[in-house]
Amino acid sequence: MLRTALLSAALVLCGLAAARWLTYDFQVWTDEGARRLEVALRPVQAPPVAVQGPGVAAPDLPALLAAGGGGATVVDFFYTHCETVCLSLGSSFQQLQAALQADRAKGEASGVRLLSISFDGARDDPAALRAYAQGLHADPALWRFVRVPDGAQQQALLRRLGVVVVPDGRGDYEHNAALLVFDARGRMVRVFDIAEQQLALDYARHLARRPR
Amino acid sequence: MRPPAWYTPARQGLAGLLLAALLASPPLRQWLEASMWRHMLLQFPLWMLAGALLAAALPPRARGGIARWNAHGIAGLVGVGVALSVLMVPRVLDLALQDAGTEAGKCAALLLAGAAIRLSWGPAGLVVQCFFLGMQLPMMVVVGQLYIDSPLRLCNAYLLDDQERLGRWLIAVAALLALAWLAHAAWRLVRREDARLAP
Repeated sequence: MLRTALLSAALVLCGLAAARWLTYDFQVWTDEGARRLEVALRPVQAPPVAVQGPGVAAPDLPALLAAGGGGATVVDFFYTHCETVCLSLGSSFQQLQAALQADRAKGEASGVRLLSISFDGARDDPAALRAYAQGLHADPALWRFVRVPDGAQQQALLRRLGVVVVPDGRGDYEHNAALLVFDARGRMVRVFDIAEQQLALDYARHLARRPR
Repeated sequence: MRPPAWYTPARQGLAGLLLAALLASPPLRQWLEASMWRHMLLQFPLWMLAGALLAAALPPRARGGIARWNAHGIAGLVGVGVALSVLMVPRVLDLALQDAGTEAGKCAALLLAGAAIRLSWGPAGLVVQCFFLGMQLPMMVVVGQLYIDSPLRLCNAYLLDDQERLGRWLIAVAALLALAWLAHAAWRLVRREDARLAP
């Protein structure tokens, strides 16, 4: 009986250790939570994938994120045929743009910009992106739209940034939509929920103001 | 009830080995893990079944050795409860798809849990069995209800309707297991009464 008790206790301890490892000391239960925590602890460098979009001169993603000197970029992933979560992302980006335009009108440009990256690179050519941007009344100085034309590079980018895209079997996609904040060195430093739009904006403003 | 003659321990062990090899093969693995409900409600029990079949092939000496550490099947059932509780954390399903180490650990834990149930269920007796199921089944129901109620996807790799279906099935399976065990317990008790009353 003593041996049974000892073995039982050891098994419980093993389980606790496994659970602690799995949940980062019981802080997160989902992989999305773990991803956000990991990014906050260790920023993720954007890979040098080629990007293409209306009015975008930068050859690759790090160059695009660094364009214009200091500053921060709030990034989301979308595809132009999307009718669900991307629409709410679009409207939250419209509100972010309005806040940035208000900053600019007050004469204190924050240095924060917006970038929407399509994960449907095969369909979303620059013409489709331009039409989509115009539909959302995007201000080209603040909010750019790009795609990653190369399929393999697009996959590598999604994997590096922890964006998981699942086809829903009806020709659409579901994905872990979020607001990704990048610094001027092209590092993803924080991931915010769509609902935490104000927090994401304030964090990006702070990041852009910080002397480097 | 005596098992049929062809149902020898060696053949059971072979069947377990075959099942484990099949489950580890990429095509079947991919199919099972393509959907959230198949991942948790088909792949998990099948790995446990493979473990249970393999346990039959253990030589009597090894069984005796294990039994000394497993009085009344308590250590085995504690281990099974711990393993299943950890594997119910939603992050496991996502991580198992991305990380080979987690996948291997998950499958090994399920295999061992299946073997542990096989070796512990009989010695446990009705009281310990009741205690074990009384912990596990309500947990399954709570997790199932969580999957049904959550407006968010708890796993990045799976769709929301898939998650809801898994939640409903978890509750249904828990209810079925509870009913099956109650029937089994009633049958055992009635037989015990009969034996006592028989002249």
